[in-house]
Amino acid sequence: MSDNQLNVLVVCGSLRQNSYNAALARTLPSLAPPGLALKAGPPWHTMPIYNHDIPDVPAEAVAWADAIRGADGVIIVSPEYNWSIPGGLKNAIDWVSRMKDVPFKEKPVAIQSCATGVLGGARMQYHLRQSLTSIDAFLFGKPEVLVTFAAKKFDEKTLALTDQPTIDDVKQQLAAFEKFVRRLNGRK
Amino acid sequence: MADRTVNVITICGSLRKGSYNRIVMNALPGLAPEGMQIKEAPPFSEFPLYNADIQNATGFPAPVQTLANAIRAADGVIFVTPEYNFGIPGPLKNAIDWVSRVPNQPFAGKPIALQSASPGPLGGGRVQYDLRRSMVFLDAFTLNKPEIFIGNCAQRLDDKTGKITDEQTIGFIRQQLAAFANFIAAHGPKG
Repeated sequence: MSDNQLNVLVVCGSLRQNSYNAALARTLPSLAPPGLALKAGPPWHTMPIYNHDIPDVPAEAVAWADAIRGADGVIIVSPEYNWSIPGGLKNAIDWVSRMKDVPFKEKPVAIQSCATGVLGGARMQYHLRQSLTSIDAFLFGKPEVLVTFAAKKFDEKTLALTDQPTIDDVKQQLAAFEKFVRRLNGRK
Repeated sequence: MADRTVNVITICGSLRKGSYNRIVMNALPGLAPEGMQIKEAPPFSEFPLYNADIQNATGFPAPVQTLANAIRAADGVIFVTPEYNFGIPGPLKNAIDWVSRVPNQPFAGKPIALQSASPGPLGGGRVQYDLRRSMVFLDAFTLNKPEIFIGNCAQRLDDKTGKITDEQTIGFIRQQLAAFANFIAAHGPKG
């Protein structure tokens, strides 16, 4: 890993094994420009259900927060549940938003989503932008990655991403995200 | 149908004991119009975080089924929720995500009303529109008006006595509950 490489954390909003979003998240390192080193974030599904009466932020949330804080940027790859953010992912965001040093503050964040339908997870993305805005993240704009009709774009058995236009869009976004992160972090 | 009691359940979006939204929720039975009974829905605090693999392997967890059944049996549902990070609290959304997967969808055609309290000035101005959106997807019928946004709620609710102290807020809530009764009569199942 070179000195000039950016560390980017990849967070996946789905837990199921054959998730298209998880498949996309796994593919990202192979589509990233050389200046980005991508790695998967620690698990969020082990965090307890958020309850303000619990006095200390749980260890799993602290670990997640530390990983985000330590990264130069974050990419969230998530499905859309009920026209919005999956509750589990939002639960994780709720936990870390309570910390004195909120990890998302001024953190460059890009969003991607896969969905089997026509909107590709768009409703989730705009809600996620809304919540991340409330905790002062620096949201990357365009190009957006909204993978519509995902079932046709991933291999049925291996879940490899097979759709070339999608591959190109993702590459473009990752390259643009690198520029965005460098500009914000003041690194050339 | 006219003489039947209307049974409404309430779902609180906050789990903490001293929650302002819980104070509001607890006040609702006493503010309901005649013929409407209001009680709290079964809890979602023990739901696992949604994972389709759990659903496929071992089915719906028992507390999910309990809540789904209660929603299905109710004539209406009132969400009383805080706003977390400009949106729906994760645990509440997680509960909706689980219930949304249950066959014979309990929210379909269900009359819904929304209320929110917040120490800040907007009173939950963002969370309710987000919640409406999820309810549209689930084909529920959400009451449009009156809206209940209790802003600066620390001045309107007493968290020591657990009561709403602001008369104006009490008045608005009574109005909304009365409107909800009419809404249920118009939209609920007939007969």
